[in-house]
Amino acid sequence: MSDLPRRIGGLVLLLVALALPLVLEDFWLQLGLFVMAAMVGAIGLTLLVGVAGQLSLGHAAFAAIGAYVFVWATSESTPTLAGAGLPAVVGLVVAVGVTALVGFAFSPVASRLRGIYLGLATLGLVFVVRHLLLNLEPWTGGFTGRSVEPFTLGGFSFSNRDPDYLAVAGVEFEGLHRLWYLFLVLTLLACWLGVNLRSSRTGRAWANVRDSETAAAAMGIAVARHKASAFVVSSGYAGLAGALLALAYGRLAPDVFTLTVSVEFLVMIVIGGLGSVGGAMVGALFVTALPLVLTQYSDAIPFLAAPGSGGLDPATASRLLYGLAIIAVLVFLRGGLTGAFRRLRGRFGGGGPVAASGAPDDTRPAPPTDPGHQAGMHPAISKETAR
Amino acid sequence: MTKTRPALVAAAACLFAVTACSTTEPESAGGGGSGDVETGTGVTDSAISIGVLTDLSGPFAAGAAVQVTEFQAYWDQVNADGGVCGRDVEMQVQDHAYDPQKAVSLYRSMSSDIVALQQVLGGPTSAAVLPLAEQDSVYVGGVGWASTALGYANNQLPGASYSIQGANAVDYLVDELGIEEGSSIGVVYYVGDYGADALAGAQHAAEERGLTVIPQEITPATTDLSAQASALVQEGASAVILGAAPTQLASLAGVLGSQGADIPIVGMNPTFNPALLNTPAADALLANTYSILSVAPYASDEPGVQEANALYAEADPDGATGWEVPLAYGQAELLKNVLERACDAGDLTPEGVVTALGSADDVDTEGIFPDGLDFTQPGESPTRTVFVTKVSDTAEAGLELLDTFEGPSAKSYTFG
Amino acid sequence: MSYFLTQVLNGLSFGLVLSLIAAGFAIVFTSTGVLNFAHGSVVLLGAYLVAVTQPTIGFWPAVLVGIAGAAGVGVLINALLVRNLADPNPGTAAILMLGVDILLLTELTRRIGNRVLPLGAPWGADTVRFAGIALPTGRVLAAVLAIVVFAGLWFLFARTRMGVGMRAAAADGPTASLMGIQLARTGATGWALAGVLAALAGVFLTSFPAPGIAPTVALSAFLAIPAWVLGGFDSVPGAVLGGLLVGLVTALTVGYESHLTFLGSGFGDVVPYVLMIIVLLVRPQGLLGSKEAVRV
Repeated sequence: MSDLPRRIGGLVLLLVALALPLVLEDFWLQLGLFVMAAMVGAIGLTLLVGVAGQLSLGHAAFAAIGAYVFVWATSESTPTLAGAGLPAVVGLVVAVGVTALVGFAFSPVASRLRGIYLGLATLGLVFVVRHLLLNLEPWTGGFTGRSVEPFTLGGFSFSNRDPDYLAVAGVEFEGLHRLWYLFLVLTLLACWLGVNLRSSRTGRAWANVRDSETAAAAMGIAVARHKASAFVVSSGYAGLAGALLALAYGRLAPDVFTLTVSVEFLVMIVIGGLGSVGGAMVGALFVTALPLVLTQYSDAIPFLAAPGSGGLDPATASRLLYGLAIIAVLVFLRGGLTGAFRRLRGRFGGGGPVAASGAPDDTRPAPPTDPGHQAGMHPAISKETAR
Repeated sequence: MTKTRPALVAAAACLFAVTACSTTEPESAGGGGSGDVETGTGVTDSAISIGVLTDLSGPFAAGAAVQVTEFQAYWDQVNADGGVCGRDVEMQVQDHAYDPQKAVSLYRSMSSDIVALQQVLGGPTSAAVLPLAEQDSVYVGGVGWASTALGYANNQLPGASYSIQGANAVDYLVDELGIEEGSSIGVVYYVGDYGADALAGAQHAAEERGLTVIPQEITPATTDLSAQASALVQEGASAVILGAAPTQLASLAGVLGSQGADIPIVGMNPTFNPALLNTPAADALLANTYSILSVAPYASDEPGVQEANALYAEADPDGATGWEVPLAYGQAELLKNVLERACDAGDLTPEGVVTALGSADDVDTEGIFPDGLDFTQPGESPTRTVFVTKVSDTAEAGLELLDTFEGPSAKSYTFG
Repeated sequence: MSYFLTQVLNGLSFGLVLSLIAAGFAIVFTSTGVLNFAHGSVVLLGAYLVAVTQPTIGFWPAVLVGIAGAAGVGVLINALLVRNLADPNPGTAAILMLGVDILLLTELTRRIGNRVLPLGAPWGADTVRFAGIALPTGRVLAAVLAIVVFAGLWFLFARTRMGVGMRAAAADGPTASLMGIQLARTGATGWALAGVLAALAGVFLTSFPAPGIAPTVALSAFLAIPAWVLGGFDSVPGAVLGGLLVGLVTALTVGYESHLTFLGSGFGDVVPYVLMIIVLLVRPQGLLGSKEAVRV
């Protein structure tokens, strides 16, 4: 596959992302922060679900752990709330580390359960973590939550203060602008790591385990260890996404990490195309930005009633459109948005073969995968291993 | 992926950015403004822009729509009478659908065009927006009555906080409904700032009055309160205070009635909805249910309430009636009062409006809120007086005004 | 003692209502392999149809309308969307159902508004009393009806051609198809059955002791997910057992909350999920699930 157009495309995107804060209004900057936080989380989830084939509905729980650990680590202790007062970068590392550790602790469950069963077990995790957040008040601040310290790096603060005034090319750079670049760096890092992990030895092992545990074991892959490592990596990503969300909000509360958030992460990776890092990022953009943009610009849609007048108001319409968009993508686009994009490019650009990205588990009938029973008996089901 | 070239470009971009950097603030021309009023964001020579962040497609959509209609009708009338400070007041409405992430983004889109937020509806949403608005020194009204919002100097609480409502509920039970010292009362409350605040007030009052509290925490998804009701009956509760929503009230009243527990139920401000009188629980509700309100009920004959109702009836003749109508009118009245104070002080910037809020003492709303609201004490409820109402099938909107009430424990309650 | 018994009976009768919903999850899952995230809104839809039609046509005909509506919507979802998925697999199907859930729930929420629609059930707020225990008549009826319905389901699956076909399709779709079983028909039957159960559950979930129809009803249907999971994914008896367990444990946790403060306040809301995780750890296929189900 020719890499040049792709590289140029990536470069243009990067330059645009770098230049955007010069022109965007606060609304778009804030939205961008949420989108980038979602991207980081979605990359982690697509590695777990798309590449390693373990469904998780508990991503929000891990994001919550990352967010709260980050805030705990970077806040000074007060009489009512505990804090470690660590530097922000250390806090970030601690947040990712602790979340990955929690993921590790949960991985025995992950190695016992598969597919949708694991998904539902992790769904329980969201409720358990929420219960803990509400009840461990000395650390979490309970229902009302706690505020987030601005991110500082060597005396430079990613907020409206320190320096109080900073302008680049005549545009005043406030907290949102500064955070944009911090988020951009971390998102790129997460993306780079994700792409490399996916094509690394580990990533190929994950995909093998997904396609057939028995075959993977026969090839000498330590199945349990790789299932656990996928869970750990994905949890780490969720932890980073949580810390970013905390910074984007400026305040944390358990309501930020509801089941809806878990579900939205899943929608992102499925809409984008399972197993693809780029797809996860496109999906994150789609799911996070679409409802807000629709709401914001709904005045431009003619036939809608004014808010509060009882008719079909813009917000309801935007929610309906959002639901319809999800359905349309799943019914009409094989491989999600990236799959459609690849086919489009395949048709016009004469690029490489159109590889449908791997799905986590196939439709029934299921390939029985008892060790020592049969391996890869259903050729129709064994999938091309995602690159 | 891409390796050296982007890195080079990025480095170049950084270099460019650094050379274009500046940390010295250019001399700002100060706020704009004509005449002797200083103005800033959201105020021009002819218009004042205010924002409403509400929930028009989520769980509180219908009640929120009533309030938006009433806000609009109020400001239309104000503009017809010459506006505020010689300017028309224009209202921008955005729908956050009870989602904090949307609320924050929509706040960002609004904050550069408005001078004040008339309303940010909802617990999690207002909790996310309030700190941002405080940083930007933007006035925020109408976030409900949780004491947690009192910590923000830019917030105007429309009447007594939930804790004051809860304390008054206990005082009223003891002083007027004959609950004796030594008995125990149930408090069924939502997890969160609303329920926990009501519980805190009730607990303080129970201690003062020698009662025992039996707490029962629930969530909005709890629609069948059989287990909670049985537990309260078992522990011998002689009254129940409810910090939840209408669905829970109907279930609780119905189950208590069916278990033969003839005990009073006292709800907080958002606990009642006239539609409950069409449900099987109607008889139980009519027998025993009271509601403590921070705002005068729809059926009050105070002039402010009458005016609010008339305005609403004209704006939406088929609209649902309820305590939202006078509340929305009263909140708009509070904001108008603050804007006028800011105008008189010659500072209509967002900061000026927040300062004006801090100077607002003895605010009178013609009976919509208790008289003499005092916003000069940050962290304190603006009043300790509440309206006591009883569910009634003859009163309009289902609540009959019994009394305005300020109990001893409500007076002695301390915030912080 | 009568207090304990009251809580137990409260819990069991509510648990049977949950079982109706959980069985719907199980039937849809076995017949088409879909994790139906929209099931909660189908429950709400059934109850909503009853509430809006009962003033004109009376309660019992309205119940039939609700059942027909919920079953019809289920069949349509399956025929129009699930069978036309671009990448048919459990993951995308579950997300598809989330999209459907958003559509249904948004529209129903808009229609219901902040009204509390009464269901007009003839049993009103009546209670049945015996041995010092008072139980809402609606719940007693729900329990009786649920038992009848489950007996009917058992008969259907064990004794009828259709039911045996559905079980065969669930056990091994392609083979069943080769044996002449029409997967399209067994799938449609599964979705229709789930719709019927959902509408029935909706009626009892929204009538006394609940006040009527409010959008939050779709949330309480969520409690049926742990019930379904811990009973076993592909087992209707499992769903019944799971519902009973969740109802019982929740009622007892709430009823004795004052003795359980060390678990934190509001533990009653998480206890079904804790129970689910524990069961999955010990028995990944659920209490009555078949081992095959886990091999998906």
